[in-house]
Amino acid sequence: MIKIQNLLKKYDKKVALNHLSLEIKAGTIFGLLGPNGAGKTTLISILNGLTKYDEGTLSVFDLPLNENLHAIRKRCALVPQSLAFYENLTVIENLRFFGGIQNIPAETLKKNIDYAVETNRLGSMLKQRSSTLSGGQKRRLNIAIGLLNDPDILFFDEPTVGIDPESRNEILETILSFKRENKTVVYTSHYMPEIEKICDEVAIINAGEIIRQGTLESMLRNDETDQVVIEIYETPLPELQAVCEKMPSLRLISETNLMLEGNSSQQVSEALTLLESLSVAVRNIRYGTTTLESLFISLTSKGRADV
Amino acid sequence: MFKAMLIKEFLLVSRDKHALAALFIMPAVFILIMSLALKDVFNEEKALIEYAVVDHDNSLESYAIISKLRANKLMNEHNISESYGKPKEEGVQFIVVIPKGFKNQFSQSDANNSALQIEVASDIGQSHLMLFKTQILSSVMQTRLDAVNLAQEMQHARQGKGSSYQKISFDEKKMMKVHYAALEEGEKPTSTQQSVPSWIVFGLFFVIIPMSTIFISERKQNTLMRLSTMNVSLPVLFGGKIIPYMLINQLQVWVMIAVGMFVVPLFGAAPLTIGGDLSALFAVSIALSLSAIGLSILIATVVDSVEQATTIGGIINILLGAIGGIMVPKFVMPEFMREFANVSPMSWGLEGFLDVFLRRGTLNDVLYEVTGLLLFGLVSLLLAAVVFNYKIRRVA
Repeated sequence: MIKIQNLLKKYDKKVALNHLSLEIKAGTIFGLLGPNGAGKTTLISILNGLTKYDEGTLSVFDLPLNENLHAIRKRCALVPQSLAFYENLTVIENLRFFGGIQNIPAETLKKNIDYAVETNRLGSMLKQRSSTLSGGQKRRLNIAIGLLNDPDILFFDEPTVGIDPESRNEILETILSFKRENKTVVYTSHYMPEIEKICDEVAIINAGEIIRQGTLESMLRNDETDQVVIEIYETPLPELQAVCEKMPSLRLISETNLMLEGNSSQQVSEALTLLESLSVAVRNIRYGTTTLESLFISLTSKGRADV
Repeated sequence: MFKAMLIKEFLLVSRDKHALAALFIMPAVFILIMSLALKDVFNEEKALIEYAVVDHDNSLESYAIISKLRANKLMNEHNISESYGKPKEEGVQFIVVIPKGFKNQFSQSDANNSALQIEVASDIGQSHLMLFKTQILSSVMQTRLDAVNLAQEMQHARQGKGSSYQKISFDEKKMMKVHYAALEEGEKPTSTQQSVPSWIVFGLFFVIIPMSTIFISERKQNTLMRLSTMNVSLPVLFGGKIIPYMLINQLQVWVMIAVGMFVVPLFGAAPLTIGGDLSALFAVSIALSLSAIGLSILIATVVDSVEQATTIGGIINILLGAIGGIMVPKFVMPEFMREFANVSPMSWGLEGFLDVFLRRGTLNDVLYEVTGLLLFGLVSLLLAAVVFNYKIRRVA
């Protein structure tokens, strides 16, 4: 679906992408992780034809990007981090404008607007001025605009910044639904749990280079570690902090993950008993794995140390 | 694509109360105020001079002059006491003191000590003083002529020639006829004809504020970037701005003309009439609109924030207006300022509109101004495109 080979991008003398190669398969949700300034946004901009690159080859839908930019763009959509719509227009006026600007035939546009509205649960607020929407509703409108051309590839640049957990979950569920429709999603985020929740494949990018890439499962497997990751159903943080205080070898990773230092059956049994006594429901136990956050920190800090 | 752009831009402007006020209400109010404020400047029947007379001579001659001054519609006499103060204190611009022995001027060749004294308020300009002196001279001359005519008539009567004497006339209407270029016989320019073009031009350039505000918000919110990913090219993007704002500008022109034709007369000033060709009016307003929009887009691409756009846009607008003869008519400017006014596109637009409204111009008459305005607009758009591309590349 997307093939990048030996991509080089410089800003004056500063290298932003250093001979980067990457392949994204059709129908996957692909996570792009990296610290600030790693080159994520530059890569997304190049893939959308907004930034020129210096060297390398890029193809999307097996078509060379530069020569087929117009055709490729018609089948892609970018959902930027900023709320890129008109606050003084209503929800429906925004959808009609961004649809109309793409010269989508009226019948198709009507169908696509209906789909975008339904997918993002905007039906009750169509005539509402966009400036009066809540943060989560604005994010959903931002995504809905990206669906108007019924794209095969969707690029999300940190689409959940600054919203409450409930709205974030709704958006992540929406993005997961695109997978069922065989759309390809390229997703950048700083929130590791989001990437863990929705992505099939992940690439960690640092200083313009891909330092690790693969399926989430393969990346998290680590036979040398004696850590155990206990996946739990979402639980309020104060309750989880109370659990960790009672058992110091348990470490809180996120609202859905705990890390147990030590993999003996006695330690695991103790931890599970404690969780059960506090009514924290366990979903899965992974031996010999790490978390994305641990992996990310170890890889990117190594990169920084090398620099 | 253009339809979507058009609807979007109209909706955004129509919901921006400040933009609507700047585009429609502000110039309409200016037209009304300036037409009313200047209506007497073009009215020959209205008194322009406030004066008072102190007569120490109390002669037939002094009385004759006072009577003639009173009959002059350009001047309005005030009564003041013998112990009068300065002109400002008496509420007049001039005080004419007729000294004792003034009548001797009519009978003696050397009457230096009996010259009229004219006291002038300190804020009176040279042109006003000249006008007043001319009126005084005219009254004195008329009085002298009356005396000569009377003496001649009496001599004719004594010689038994009856009423055969032909009086020497000093009637202005018999001596000269005034005709305003390009106007019908007896027709005069009005303050409305002068004010409406000025404030239409000024109002059209106020698109700078709403347009640059929207454009900068689009840039900051990455909406323009999003539009780029939707295959919206730079010419389409600029076209999507030019067309709606050109329509808004045309609407402004006709609203202002309607104000001049129908609202201004309700307040006692003369109504606006369109003397020239409609094709010339359309040509000037479209060319002026392109130059205002070009400048607006250039400002919107150069500045980095809405605050900068409103401040810089407002300052540029006022400067161009002041230089271009919008705020101060060019005919009262000194020669070098009149030359300097030609650097402002507002001046070209104003000349074009004056050609249409005042000088009954045709398309041919406005060709020079229209060409200049179109070139100014196109060069501004070209510069805006260069700056926009440079900034996009720098950000990317």
